[in-house]
Amino acid sequence: MIWEVFRQEKTGQYHTHCGNVHAPDREMAKQFAAIQHGRRKPTNSLWVVPRDEVGEIDAEDVAFGGTTDKAYRWATTYKTTGEDAREVVESEDEQATAERQRGDD
Amino acid sequence: MATSLENPDELDERERRALETLLKRLADDEFVLAERYTEWQVRAPTLESDLALANNAQDELGHARLWYDVLGDIGFEERELVYERDPADFRHSTLVERPFEDGDWADAVLRSYLYDAAEEIRLESLVDSTHPKIADRVGKIRSEEAYHLEHAQNWLERLADGDEGHERLQDALDRLFPYAFTLFEPVDPDVEEDIVDLGLRDATLEEMGEEWLSIVVPYLESLDLELPADGRVGDGTDEFEFEVTEEMLPEERGRDGTHTDAWFDLYDEFTRTYRELGRTETTRIMDKPE
Repeated sequence: MIWEVFRQEKTGQYHTHCGNVHAPDREMAKQFAAIQHGRRKPTNSLWVVPRDEVGEIDAEDVAFGGTTDKAYRWATTYKTTGEDAREVVESEDEQATAERQRGDD
Repeated sequence: MATSLENPDELDERERRALETLLKRLADDEFVLAERYTEWQVRAPTLESDLALANNAQDELGHARLWYDVLGDIGFEERELVYERDPADFRHSTLVERPFEDGDWADAVLRSYLYDAAEEIRLESLVDSTHPKIADRVGKIRSEEAYHLEHAQNWLERLADGDEGHERLQDALDRLFPYAFTLFEPVDPDVEEDIVDLGLRDATLEEMGEEWLSIVVPYLESLDLELPADGRVGDGTDEFEFEVTEEMLPEERGRDGTHTDAWFDLYDEFTRTYRELGRTETTRIMDKPE
């Protein structure tokens, strides 16, 4: 049985997928994961999840984000005056990065 | 015992002997067990179990290093403690030197359980050691040992659940149990007394052995395993009491320098490179441990 492993480096951060382990049950999966995925990188917590329990939906199933232009949704589309709050700037940066990754521009 | 045992120049003969005896047992047990575990590398049943046992072996080597280092304080050099030492001078219990039955994972798991359960008790008795370095290092070691014990028990319970696994565990128990008794076998009664009187350790071997048996015996029986030698005293209604008699013990006990042939082969193996390269000093890649 395969267990997907998610690692959290520090309290409060997200658990991020980092690999998997073969184990007959949850207890063993946790033990193996501790060695295989928590030994050499900073680790605060690990999750083990049976692979079968992970639900997946992919680009073949659905057009993520829709198929028509929805640029009006993006904050970067709007012109602003003056100086924005730090949070807004950060959020716009994230958005700009996401747009580049999607190949929008 | 009010004085600190830390300054090697202040130790008298009796203190030095007690400290050396205690430390050699601790270090040699860990070192030799790790040597044996290493044989499983790339051969364990799955990648995961391979990594887990290799991890435990690395832990044990690290612990051996911590103890050999304290021996260094009283004048021993690493090369004379490991690579140039007379194999008959090693003081590990013969449990850890026994070769594995070819490919028998149950052997590795059961041995690990018998040892780690004993190690937990032994480390607990060192927490308040009058030797500051010992007391200090025990904490670090204990947290790693907890994983080892849990790992062994998890495997034991799962192996015991299947017919073949159960049979193999029983075979391993028949073979290993007598050697496991040697973990708590005293050698020189005077030295044993000194170790406790000086406060290096706060329990006698007898007390620790008794505690160990009171834990492992019921646990093994809960897995439907049969003891090859049962020294329980009384009808079971009183407090747990188990008497290890001479007949139950193997001829080779390790603690007194007697070892099985398998040990001398293993010793030859891990010292071979050192000898072949004509080394007179050990290679150090790390600073002194803390």
